[in-house]
Amino acid sequence: MMADSIVPVKEIEEKAEKMDTDKMWVIMGPQHPFSHGLWTLKVKLDGEIVTDAEPIVGYLHRGWEKETENRTYPKIIPMADRLCYAASMTYTHLYCMTVEKALGIDIPEKAKYIRIVADEVCRINSHLMWLAAVGTDLGNLTVFLWCMREREYFLDLNVKLCGARMTTNFPRIGGVRNDTTELFDRDILRTVQHFEKALWDIIYLIDDSSIFVSRMKGISYITREQAANVGLTGPAMRGCGVDFDLRRDDPYDNYDKIDFEVPVLQEGDSYARYMIRVEEMFQSCEIIKQAVGKIKALGKNAPYRIKTPSRVPAGTAFAKLEDPRGESMMYLVSDGTDKPYRLKVRSPIFVNVSSARLQSVGVRIADVPAVLAQIDMCLGETDR
Amino acid sequence: MDESKLKYLNKYTDIKNGAQGKPYKTKNLAKGLWIVKPAWTVFKLFSKTVARQPVTVLYPYQKEWVPENYRGRPGLRFDKCVSCGMCVRMCPTSCIKLIEVSDDDGKPVMRPQVNMGRCAMCGYCAEYCPVDAMTVTPEYELAEYTRFDLLYGPRRLHYEGTTPGMEVKLEVTLPSDIESGNPEKRHLLCELDRPELTESKCIGCKKCEKVCPVGAIKMEEKGVNDKGRPILRPKIDNSKCICCSNCVDDCPKSALAIKEVL
Amino acid sequence: MVQYTGLSEFICGNPDWIYPNPMLNEYCPFDTYNLAYDLAYKVWEILGGTIAWLINLIWPGNPISSWLIDDPTMVLFALIVFMLLIFMVAFVNVLIVLWMERKCMGRMMDRRGTMIGLKGFLQCVGDGFKTFLKENTIPKKVDKMTYMWTVSLIVGLSVLVACMVPLSQRWYVVNYDSGLLIIMAFFALAPFFILVSGWSQNNKYSLIGGMRAAELMISYEVPMLILIATTALMAGSFNIGDIVYAQNDSLWYFIPQILGFIVFFFCAPAEAERVPFDIAEAEAELVEGWQTEYAGMKWGLIMLADYLRGTVSCGMVVILYLGGWTLPFLGDFSQFTIEGSSGIGYLLAWLPMPELVFILKSYVVFFFMILTRCALARVRTDQILNIGWKVFMPLAVINLVIVLFLRVGGVI
Repeated sequence: MMADSIVPVKEIEEKAEKMDTDKMWVIMGPQHPFSHGLWTLKVKLDGEIVTDAEPIVGYLHRGWEKETENRTYPKIIPMADRLCYAASMTYTHLYCMTVEKALGIDIPEKAKYIRIVADEVCRINSHLMWLAAVGTDLGNLTVFLWCMREREYFLDLNVKLCGARMTTNFPRIGGVRNDTTELFDRDILRTVQHFEKALWDIIYLIDDSSIFVSRMKGISYITREQAANVGLTGPAMRGCGVDFDLRRDDPYDNYDKIDFEVPVLQEGDSYARYMIRVEEMFQSCEIIKQAVGKIKALGKNAPYRIKTPSRVPAGTAFAKLEDPRGESMMYLVSDGTDKPYRLKVRSPIFVNVSSARLQSVGVRIADVPAVLAQIDMCLGETDR
Repeated sequence: MDESKLKYLNKYTDIKNGAQGKPYKTKNLAKGLWIVKPAWTVFKLFSKTVARQPVTVLYPYQKEWVPENYRGRPGLRFDKCVSCGMCVRMCPTSCIKLIEVSDDDGKPVMRPQVNMGRCAMCGYCAEYCPVDAMTVTPEYELAEYTRFDLLYGPRRLHYEGTTPGMEVKLEVTLPSDIESGNPEKRHLLCELDRPELTESKCIGCKKCEKVCPVGAIKMEEKGVNDKGRPILRPKIDNSKCICCSNCVDDCPKSALAIKEVL
Repeated sequence: MVQYTGLSEFICGNPDWIYPNPMLNEYCPFDTYNLAYDLAYKVWEILGGTIAWLINLIWPGNPISSWLIDDPTMVLFALIVFMLLIFMVAFVNVLIVLWMERKCMGRMMDRRGTMIGLKGFLQCVGDGFKTFLKENTIPKKVDKMTYMWTVSLIVGLSVLVACMVPLSQRWYVVNYDSGLLIIMAFFALAPFFILVSGWSQNNKYSLIGGMRAAELMISYEVPMLILIATTALMAGSFNIGDIVYAQNDSLWYFIPQILGFIVFFFCAPAEAERVPFDIAEAEAELVEGWQTEYAGMKWGLIMLADYLRGTVSCGMVVILYLGGWTLPFLGDFSQFTIEGSSGIGYLLAWLPMPELVFILKSYVVFFFMILTRCALARVRTDQILNIGWKVFMPLAVINLVIVLFLRVGGVI
């Protein structure tokens, strides 16, 4: 009787293997301190080590692309701001560039330089937001607040330039909304000079701290081939050793007339991706200084906005731009009316987030926020 | 890679020694005693902020300076408005509506009403206003208790102390002007574009005359038709026209179209 | 035999007291003079005496009045007041430490910190009241028994340890010869309950948090105990008073044991689960770690326990390395008496100086803990094991060897 009730040990072991009892799925998000916005990362844990991960996005889908089909071309510019609140200027810029390509017009020199300045201010804004997020994800609030303090000065620059802090609505089809204000040159140079000093303090806090460095260094390697396969772009790609930057290699809007360096590191770990972004902030300061000088040289009366027809001729146009987070692209199909027939956005984060599995498999759960902070998540443009 | 330009990487990696194609080495942290430098950086700021106040602005009590062109809620100068509806047409969130109010003399006029709950503060209404009646204002504290209170009527939109800086000028240059070497800035629509009539389509319904907010369209007799009735055709007074394209929108036969000057 | 100085003398120099000295009561539980007990005794003499007198007015010659002023009853009630007094001091200490952390952290991050009342102090009180008013929510699927009991035990143990730390030779609860060991033992008990609590909550984050608490404990506890043994070896006793007076007689131990001091300073926040070693409640990856499912007053009590442990950690640093309640050249202020001195000496005798010195020293240590919290990030779970076993452990052993040589060489 007893012998019948006893299940053979081998059978139990087989069942245990099938049951997959030693691993568990932890669902991080959408309401989780690490997900800066609404997205979910499902991680499969073996103890503390991540063995599988799956990002889930789409909580913030607003039908952006469909919505554009019901609006005239100028009315899409404020919408493009809302794609990403941290890098609003670049998306507006990209949209205007796409429509200008469809129209086949060339914008004035001054507008190009003003756009460069606005873009780079925006890039520093965005990178500071990212650095702040890195700080909190690694458990330090000081970095967060110091970065936010510096970012405030750049938001003030936005206010001085166009009257709004974040949703700037500044570039226009055919130029920019307004000329630089009188004291803008002085203000921006002052801010940049201050920032170049203040950024060192934040760097001392992170790069001279052995805890910060050891948390980022040597984890979540991505090789060049993997980066290419996933479609990584932007600083994350340059941290993996791919030497490519649209601003230098496929220049738009007079970036070719400005002298700057594109930092590239071969290592491909989390720390390399971090270092690329920090160096990019310094390079942005350099670009701003040169572009402001060029704006000054063009004189006060130079044109900054040209008149464009309200109807775009039928056809397609494609433009791409180096967003703070990667390469963002737009594809416009026009049917000859004053509204786009179709407007497709290629968001860099939507592609980069697909590397979440690549980045987080093999690291510990403690490093998942630290590693994924390097994606620089922005849900507005991911879900559109 | 030029050594002098990479400010941060040169200091914290050995990139300048090796070629860029190799894995880098980072700074030796033992030189800074591992954690002493960050602690010292924090302590420096602590002593600074104890001596002076931190950067925080105590918002409800202190306010930050805002420039003249700050894009707060839209403002309206009642007397300047000609009720052309350009703001309604350009608003990306459709928060502006023309409503009938009585002006100072008691006559009913159409003026814009803004639903501040939907307003995105993009400043298009001020930018495209042909007579600069709509302005941006530096007012940004717009919280109300009910949604109804968020409706700003034409009188409530008035902002005391409107300065010239709050008018958003829409200055453009014509591509043709740039080609001819005369980069002069012009005021966009009200100076350049004009509605144009396709005579064959017009049926002389006088609708354009009625909707023109500035009275720039007068119907003119151009002979008589077969039945002996007068043929009416709109004549546009270019000096008065502000190119609001109301006539274009309301034309039942699409006889009018804006001719864009480029 | 009885050293009878200070505040109590000032208050009750009046010989009309029933017992001018509580030590004269034959049921007195303390062998040496205890200021806190003295104060509690005086308070109960006033309260109990008044109550007994009032009852006696209404009903003369009743047994309750005579029971109330009975010797054993006096001691019983005095002990209750004594316990309240000790806890109140620890509690107020926590409030001050909390305020200090919020304010200093604010300044280090270039913001203002708390702003409500008395330079932000009342914010802590307000937050306490707020957590009291919260609804007591218990998730449906938790193991209720364990869930409630473990948090009670964690909070209770922390309060116990906080009350057991002596503020001076005359402000203590128990004065054992193995006092240091007992305090450290109670101090180290909490991670076990954290582990059980994390398990009981039926939440993956809490489970990982609880596991991490255990992981954290095995990494810092061993070097910490070696350091305690080293200090005991140097002082020749586990009695806290002996350790402090041994430092007063020679020199503060952080000079010969500088390695030990550094290691202990970093083990102390680990004991209190503070940044950079707060891996059990790492909020970036595990929402609140093992505290995820605790809400309302339970969470408030856990925070209170956290800060109590923080103050105890600082107190242990002060006792072991910074000379406890003594100051160089001034000792423990026992040379100042009310009768024999005037001016500053009178003031020093009147004020509870040793207790103040101890508390202020622990605040200074706490300030440096805040500084490390602001400057550093959270370490990873495998890194804390590496730090504990590969860095702290060898340093602690080297420290022990140095002390052994000093001891054998007869330097100390």
